[in-house]
Amino acid sequence: MNTPAVQLIDLHKTFSTRGGKVRAVDGVDLVIETGEIVAFLGPNGAGKTTALDMVLGFTTPTSGQCLVYGSEPRKAVRDGRVSAVLQTGSLLDDLSVRETVAMVASQHGVHLPVDEALERAGATNFAHRKVSKCSGGEQQRLRFALALLPEPDLLILDEPTAGMDVNARRDFWAAMHAEAERGRTIVFATHYLEEAEQFADRIVVITDGRILADGTTEEVRALGGFRTVSVRWNDDDGDPTAALADIPGAETVQVHGGRTVFTGPDTDAIARHLLTRTSANDLLIVQVPLEEAFIGLTHKTTDQASTEQQSVEGAQQS
Amino acid sequence: MNTQTIPGNSAPSSSPARPNALVGILKYAAFDFRRQLRMFESLFFIIVLPAALFIMFGSITSYGDFPAGHGTVSGSIATSMAVYGAVTATTSIAGSAAVERSQGWGRLLALTPMAQWQYVVAKVVVALAIAVLPVVVVFVVASMTGAELGSLGIWLSAGALSVLCSTMFALYGLFFGLMFRSEAAVGAAGGLLVVLGFFGNLFTPLSGTMLEIAKFTPLYGIHGLATWPQMEGELMSSMGEALDPDTLGMLVTSVVVWTVIFGLMALLAARRGTRRA
Repeated sequence: MNTPAVQLIDLHKTFSTRGGKVRAVDGVDLVIETGEIVAFLGPNGAGKTTALDMVLGFTTPTSGQCLVYGSEPRKAVRDGRVSAVLQTGSLLDDLSVRETVAMVASQHGVHLPVDEALERAGATNFAHRKVSKCSGGEQQRLRFALALLPEPDLLILDEPTAGMDVNARRDFWAAMHAEAERGRTIVFATHYLEEAEQFADRIVVITDGRILADGTTEEVRALGGFRTVSVRWNDDDGDPTAALADIPGAETVQVHGGRTVFTGPDTDAIARHLLTRTSANDLLIVQVPLEEAFIGLTHKTTDQASTEQQSVEGAQQS
Repeated sequence: MNTQTIPGNSAPSSSPARPNALVGILKYAAFDFRRQLRMFESLFFIIVLPAALFIMFGSITSYGDFPAGHGTVSGSIATSMAVYGAVTATTSIAGSAAVERSQGWGRLLALTPMAQWQYVVAKVVVALAIAVLPVVVVFVVASMTGAELGSLGIWLSAGALSVLCSTMFALYGLFFGLMFRSEAAVGAAGGLLVVLGFFGNLFTPLSGTMLEIAKFTPLYGIHGLATWPQMEGELMSSMGEALDPDTLGMLVTSVVVWTVIFGLMALLAARRGTRRA
């Protein structure tokens, strides 16, 4: 009955470059319902921004369909139903924060009062500062205030916390939580797994213009590969590759210098087994930086998986 | 899947209610005009420099009071400086508009109901409003220092022609802004106007081969048209020789041809811009 906030149907976007064609978005099917908080997770150049650009009507799909509240993206934008916090750039240095909001507000039909938008975005204390004198985090809050002006039902955030320090990042997400509680649908792109985990209900992993995984935070984390357990292996326990089969929750093993590294969906189980059943010591559970995890995932799809470089089996989308 | 677009269907808050297009343009232009007025550094050159040049070349000279057309030599130089000021203004405003858009401000505006054409119209309004300023300042200084154009009607029409014809230099500024996407390039385009102004007969009366070359340069036609109410095509000469007057047709042709050339250049630059983006 309810129209979904976003519907992507076999979406393709191809750019022609000197080196041939680049398939930035290569067959994406996705439905985002009203009220969902969705993270688009993927490394740089995965096609996240291109996909979001189509949702905002900045570019048109090469083929396939992109609907926002059942209509053309551009119409949804004009109706003030969708707005966005865009990646860097995009502000006029010589305006003050408040002037920027007032200037953009003048182009919306119905909009929040300027001061309220500033307040909600946490930009009130520096409202009279010139944009050029604002820190990265402050500029991002200004962009957030601009996005709130039309009181959009759908809020798109493209790498919203890039260039923010830890505190600014925390404040930003706190403000975003408040907006989510108002019932807005929120879609954000990020390459921090941590950020996706903490804030989203649902994570869509994108690499090479395709959806690699789509599920709840737990489901995506369970794909494994995002954490590893490394130990100093004792040769008395035999060959670690042979031992792999006995370790619950472990899928792959690699030897890096003096350390033996296990990966799998359940790192706790791996750790428990290693500490209690083997004489391995100096155990470390490491959150693999997402970029690295993606390299694993991507290699898998591009058929470069050697037995050593095995990565996440379950990551293949069913 | 249900994809009909019944108004009020699904999701909370926000009713469409789009603003009136014209009101939107005027509001944006008003904000932007105020913003431009605050940029003192660039405005200084646009507004004060032409008046300063007029004082140097037009009023404190021995030949300023010599008759020329319906008025005086000094009056004709006032119009030249007004043209120079007006084209500097439109070049700068249009050029920085292009840079502004390329740096992402356009993406931000694309998140509002404002359409591209509204932005262009708003910028044209601002450019013309700014172009009026140097013209007014030069003419006020000129009238106070005794320059003559002939009648109030000639003052007004010379001023109006200076401003109107300067719109073609918006395309020129646009070309530089779109092509190089930096304020520095727009500044350079403004600097190049001095050279074009020299060949446009703005700063010193040309003659001989130089004059023949000058007739094919972009500012020549504008200058001829703006001074037409006073001079009616008569050319001044520093050497005292008689020069064949320009015809109205030739001046109009020059403006039209150069407008087309600048338009095409801007279009090519815009294409190049979207391809890269």
